[in-house]
Amino acid sequence: MGNLMSTSFAPECTDLKQKYDACFNYWYTEKFLKGKSVYNECEDLWADYKECIDIHLQKQGIKPMLDEAREEAPFENGGIPVDKSDEK
Amino acid sequence: MKVFNSTQFYNYSWDYVSAANWCKYPNELSTHVVGVDVLRREFDPDKGTLTTERLITCKQPIPRWLMFLVGGQDKSYVREVSVIDRNQRTLTMRSCNLTMCKLLRVYETVVYRPDPVSPVSRTRFDQVAEITAFASLRQLCDKLEDWSVERFGQNARKGKLGFDSVLKNLEKQWHGIADKTQVLLDEVNEKTNDVMSGVNEKTGALAKVFGYRN
Repeated sequence: MGNLMSTSFAPECTDLKQKYDACFNYWYTEKFLKGKSVYNECEDLWADYKECIDIHLQKQGIKPMLDEAREEAPFENGGIPVDKSDEK
Repeated sequence: MKVFNSTQFYNYSWDYVSAANWCKYPNELSTHVVGVDVLRREFDPDKGTLTTERLITCKQPIPRWLMFLVGGQDKSYVREVSVIDRNQRTLTMRSCNLTMCKLLRVYETVVYRPDPVSPVSRTRFDQVAEITAFASLRQLCDKLEDWSVERFGQNARKGKLGFDSVLKNLEKQWHGIADKTQVLLDEVNEKTNDVMSGVNEKTGALAKVFGYRN
């Protein structure tokens, strides 16, 4: 779908990201949507890509902001903010 | 808090729209999105759900009048968590800004689901954005004052350095001109003397002819 692929916030990781994205997009359409998959098949490419962005999230100072947001709206909760009863 | 609501329809199947969602950027209209990164992705085969955490990087989305609050940084980040349920055929995306979130928080929820009327060929899109500003006028004023004082100091330092360099440059020219002026004055004096003596000689001669003087 579409030849243009998005880039990473860290140019150094764009190559790894696009390899992963290509694998994922195929898996999503051909396996996930069709209910043919029992596991996420692009994990190896994902590991390489993640290793790269983890370094740069730290370097560019994005990590602390991200950690705070993760606490407020956990991934495990689908990104729904945990209710901290309006303290204002 | 302010709430923004919107409902749209896409004339494509939910399957197609949900797959295209991963390829939404780059596109011609959203040039402010400069990066899309997958931070985490988990597939639950029992529930048939796929959860994805992404980091969206934007450039210059902040209005100019707010730039001083973020210290002139030109990139901003949004965290997005999406859940796709392939059995229910829903794609739910929740996102919140990471940058400037102490001052202003935009919490957006988007749901793509098959249109109940024509589920095979049409997709319904619901969007809700809750916009909350945390900054009080007092906080803004303090920030503005701090920034102004700092900027004033910076400008003052720059002003001093700038004028120093101007003074230094002009000094050379100044002395250059002064030297040249002296030479010129000397030349003028010399010429004047020449001319004057010439004139004197000539007038002397004339006077002699007319019997005037001497």
